[in-house]
Amino acid sequence: MTTSRRLAIVGFVIVAALGFLVYKGLTSAIVFFRTTNEALAQRAQLGDSVFQLEGTVVKGSVHRAGPNEVRFAIRQGGATIWVDNAGDPPQMFRPGLPVVVVGHFVGTTDRFSSDEVMVKHSQQYIAAHPNRVRASS
Amino acid sequence: MPSLRSRLVTLVGWLALVGVIATVWLGLFVTPDAVGFPDGLVRLLYVHPPMAWVAFVAYGMAFLSSLLYLWPRTRDMRFDRLAGASAEVGVVFTGLTLVTGSLWGRPTWGVWWTWDPLLTTTALLFVLYLGYLALRRVPGDPEAVAGRSAIAALIAFVDVPVVYFSVSWWRSLHQAPTVDFTGRHLYVHGSMAWTMLLGFVSFTLAYAWMTARRYRLASLAVQQEDEGLAHAIAERRAEGRVLV
Repeated sequence: MTTSRRLAIVGFVIVAALGFLVYKGLTSAIVFFRTTNEALAQRAQLGDSVFQLEGTVVKGSVHRAGPNEVRFAIRQGGATIWVDNAGDPPQMFRPGLPVVVVGHFVGTTDRFSSDEVMVKHSQQYIAAHPNRVRASS
Repeated sequence: MPSLRSRLVTLVGWLALVGVIATVWLGLFVTPDAVGFPDGLVRLLYVHPPMAWVAFVAYGMAFLSSLLYLWPRTRDMRFDRLAGASAEVGVVFTGLTLVTGSLWGRPTWGVWWTWDPLLTTTALLFVLYLGYLALRRVPGDPEAVAGRSAIAALIAFVDVPVVYFSVSWWRSLHQAPTVDFTGRHLYVHGSMAWTMLLGFVSFTLAYAWMTARRYRLASLAVQQEDEGLAHAIAERRAEGRVLV
């Protein structure tokens, strides 16, 4: 058996091991965000630590709470959390869209204080027809 | 008279150029805006996914060539050069994917960058193949260099399916792919879909052209080195004769 052939086999074993590790190890380890209901269920452990929280912006909940603060509610899995965000949310932000906010719970309350809003959008792109009459708005 | 192969490569290059120009024209002026995306932001759809796709194709080609190089029956330095050329183009397109993604992320998500699983594994992909290209330049016996590079290409390729499936395996800010290869579904319609398809074809042709040219350059470099060596030997011989 030649050296390079042996190396090739070693390479393959490493590839297989890496693939297995990447899939197995990271499936449980990577948590980019917690959903609203999960965050409330883990409220005690979370304390006032900083994490990313995901939920859909509740319609009619968005309003200005201060000169540089926007307040809105996000909802997921039947649980609602009120968020106070410092600064203006991004352009795409609107009720009904899922968002990920970065921040922490305030004191021992269930209110959330964030300084960053990231708006999620789907992979679907629907052509806009600016000249078409709308059935409802 | 240029060879048939070289004329074919030139043709592919021209087709790629025309295709990319047509994609830009259709993407900017013909296709409609998308619902919920302000100010024509959706137009990045015609370049960003095709660039990511080309990076995958490039790494797939580097993977296959490396496999063929390592397999004793098909061992040939040409596969080594093809793997290197393809990976180099792949790195260019991974960089472009990261840049266009960032440009898209800022106005839609609200951030230039976030450590989301897809973005993180794509950044890893970029670094892995930069490392591969660096490894190729580590001096040594050509066969040994080709062998270890091929093994590195196989290892780096593990990240490619991880990138593609990251959005379904983990929670992500990035949406699922608009072109769903596993579920065979396209989440875009009409002229938007056709323009996107043209983008995929044009950028793939551009990839083929760039890789072919890069491969030719690598072959010429080897040829030049061989000729230089033969010339040097001949010179030394001539010197010897004078002395005798």
